[in-house]
Amino acid sequence: MGLDRRAFIGLVAGGAVGTLFTPIPWKLADDAAIWSQNWSWIPRVPRGEVTYATTASKLCPSGTGLKVALAGGKPVTVYGNPEHPLSQGGVSPIGASEVYMLYSPARVRTPMRKVGGKFEPITWEQAQTELMAKCKAAGNKAACISGDVGGTAGEVLSAFLAKIGSAAMYAMPGEAGPAAAGFKLMGGQGRVGYDIDNADCVLILGSDIFEGSGVSVRNRKAFCASRPLGKDQTAKFAYAGPVRNHTGAVCDSWIPVATPHLGAFALGVAWHLLKAGAVADAADMADFKKLVEANYSPDKVSKLTGVSPEVLAAVAKGLSAAKAPLIIPGSEMGQGAGAGSFIAGMSLNLLLGRMNKPGGVMALPELPAVFPGAETPSEILARDLPGYLKNVGDGKTAAPEVLFVYAANPAYGLPESAAMAKALEKIPFKVSFASFMDETAAMCDLILPNSLTLERYDDVVTPYGSAFCSLTLVKPLVAPIFDTKTTADFILDTAKKMNLALGHDSLEKALKEKAAVVAKSDGFVAKEAMPWDVLAGKPKPAFDAATLWKELDAGRAWVKVGQVAQTGLSFAAKILAALKPAAAELMLAGMSQQRTGTAATGLPAQCLTAIPDTDLKAGASIVRLNAATAKKYGLSQGSGVTLSGAGGSCPAKAHISENVMTGVVAVPLGFGHTAFDAFSKGKGDNFLKIMAATPEAGTDMTVWAGSEVKIA
Amino acid sequence: MEERQSNKAGGVGGVVLLFLVGFVGALVVGWWVFPQLLFSQKTQPIRFSHKVHAEQGLDCESCHTYSKTGQFIGLPSTASCAECHPDETGGTTDNDKEIDKFVKEYAKPGIQVPWLVYQYQPDNVFFSHAAHKGFECATCHPDVANMDAPPPYHENRLSGYSKQTMKMWECERCHAQMGASNACYVCHK
Repeated sequence: MGLDRRAFIGLVAGGAVGTLFTPIPWKLADDAAIWSQNWSWIPRVPRGEVTYATTASKLCPSGTGLKVALAGGKPVTVYGNPEHPLSQGGVSPIGASEVYMLYSPARVRTPMRKVGGKFEPITWEQAQTELMAKCKAAGNKAACISGDVGGTAGEVLSAFLAKIGSAAMYAMPGEAGPAAAGFKLMGGQGRVGYDIDNADCVLILGSDIFEGSGVSVRNRKAFCASRPLGKDQTAKFAYAGPVRNHTGAVCDSWIPVATPHLGAFALGVAWHLLKAGAVADAADMADFKKLVEANYSPDKVSKLTGVSPEVLAAVAKGLSAAKAPLIIPGSEMGQGAGAGSFIAGMSLNLLLGRMNKPGGVMALPELPAVFPGAETPSEILARDLPGYLKNVGDGKTAAPEVLFVYAANPAYGLPESAAMAKALEKIPFKVSFASFMDETAAMCDLILPNSLTLERYDDVVTPYGSAFCSLTLVKPLVAPIFDTKTTADFILDTAKKMNLALGHDSLEKALKEKAAVVAKSDGFVAKEAMPWDVLAGKPKPAFDAATLWKELDAGRAWVKVGQVAQTGLSFAAKILAALKPAAAELMLAGMSQQRTGTAATGLPAQCLTAIPDTDLKAGASIVRLNAATAKKYGLSQGSGVTLSGAGGSCPAKAHISENVMTGVVAVPLGFGHTAFDAFSKGKGDNFLKIMAATPEAGTDMTVWAGSEVKIA
Repeated sequence: MEERQSNKAGGVGGVVLLFLVGFVGALVVGWWVFPQLLFSQKTQPIRFSHKVHAEQGLDCESCHTYSKTGQFIGLPSTASCAECHPDETGGTTDNDKEIDKFVKEYAKPGIQVPWLVYQYQPDNVFFSHAAHKGFECATCHPDVANMDAPPPYHENRLSGYSKQTMKMWECERCHAQMGASNACYVCHK
């Protein structure tokens, strides 16, 4: 019997009908649906026991204490540590990114050496051999740029540099630099901090204290505490600055003042205080009074700054009437203000008698160093990095033979980026310890990747702005995911092999000694009482020095509220006399926001969805002007605009906003990366590159906040 | 003409016969060949004898513990196993060799054993062991306490899940029988 057409159809039909009585169609349909849930790019729920551990953020400058959730031993998410005084449960977007950044595509996964313009992986041993040879050949012609000079790891680099005979240790600019330089010029001793918790009237001069400046998370908590639910607020906040940023937006009042004029504004307020009889115990009190009365009368200040005499008088009256007034000087973008501007702001604190008083400015001691030869953070912070690099670029200062770059990205994060890159190019051998492939690392000859916060030992020591000294332990919660090392450990080992032993074999041992040393210096563990409560008069809790390491390991902070007594603090009237507030038709104001990361981190991937289209839209930066400024330049909402400044030009789109003062263009910072990964590259422009780095009259310190800009 | 009639006459029977052949063939393929093709068979990295441990008086929760938060930890960690098996035995029995394999390959290097879990639910399912503590473990899981070797693990080549992963209808049936809610949000948060 042959298989004819009918028979074949019968066979197929039988097979088809039979198949319907089997699991094949139903199981395949079901499994196909499940298969579609498990594609490789779909995030998976981690398995295993959920546990919690503590550390502190090193990526975020606010030094927030962190509580990290781990599933099966793997970090999965980050919370603020409720027991930590710089967090109290709060966390910044950068701190929150600590887990996700572990897996950033921009991470440098192994040591690399540049050969023929391209990077190739090498071993740590090869890298160390090459580094030692270069260091020996360079002698003392070495320099270091660091984004973290406050901690013990910063001490390691400073001590290493000192051992090879170099003092060229520089910090990336921030608000701590002008404060350190300015306070030194005033004859001050120690580091300044601001006791916002105990103040009842806070005048903020530019500084974005709730976002990009200082201990922002702590400051937000203090601000919240001053506004108890259902009760009267206990402190008033006024913000003077060119743009109503995250700080200006929540303060009780916003006084539009361009950044270069903040010093004059402060001295205009001082004129009223002096008129009301304010005096300070300073050697140059008479000179200061004479200077202010001659040059900063309400009419003159009003003419320069645009602030009406009535507002100046009201500000002075508010400060005079307050029991605990506090003035916080700075810049709206957390960098670029000068030491002179800081001194002008601090003069108000002096006139009001606010030094080392609860709710005032605290002069904090440096914590003892555990590496002999290391400079204090204040000494390093007071140096002028943009000025140094500009001189190197111009040939006025000899370029170092070797440059170390630690936790910093100067090729991106400095003003006049092209001039800074030109200076960096003149340095024959550059070593980056970057964790991510940033713009500076891409220029370097050797990249020795530092392990990230959750992978290493480190510490957070008294972040800028804090009203109390603090020490928080950073400890590894997971083994390094890639072939990275803790930079401090690598330097200690390298120094030892170069017969320049620095005193400790590992950072962990150094941290233990640090804990033992600070335990003897009259502090306590922030647990039963917080430092701002002790500053306000609450008894200091008992402290058992023997338990400090255990307490630090449990995520608590050691704190100290003692201040450095000031002898010989002055107004630095000669410097104030030399100040020449710049006047320009149109000025830039930077908006530094934590959701765009830092120069050293790039844009944290998980923050991209939080960037509004008033900052970045379709890959273009959005700049903000008010209606009056826009009208003057013939711009409207969405207009294309090209901003040109010192180092070139930046295209952008205009957004009309009355949160910007007339004559100012507010620009978002943190965009325009040319390195890192797809999350950072090709998004907007870096406006720092068109900010002019110019010397401040009186101090010669480089300033770039409020620099002049033109609209093409 | 005669041939066509012959075909027609014998053809009906032939068609029916071949229909049945196709029908039965499909049943054989569907119920026997298809499962063989769909599932791959894997063995556990360590031949863990639940029976030996049960005979020593351990119950399920001795190793498959709950944390302080009530979270079901599921598999014990290598460190947990190493609490009782820190060193190689050097023995020659099958069980000793298996213990030595665990100590050498996992406990000493500190590596988690990649156990194959028979009943992992997909990520979109929220299953709380704490809410089901009143049931015997073997109600849902294979009764391994009497097994000297773990049963073979059959992995669905398409979905990637174990053959023994409980399906939603099984969850719903039990919920219905027990009077528990079958609302979506009970299991899908």
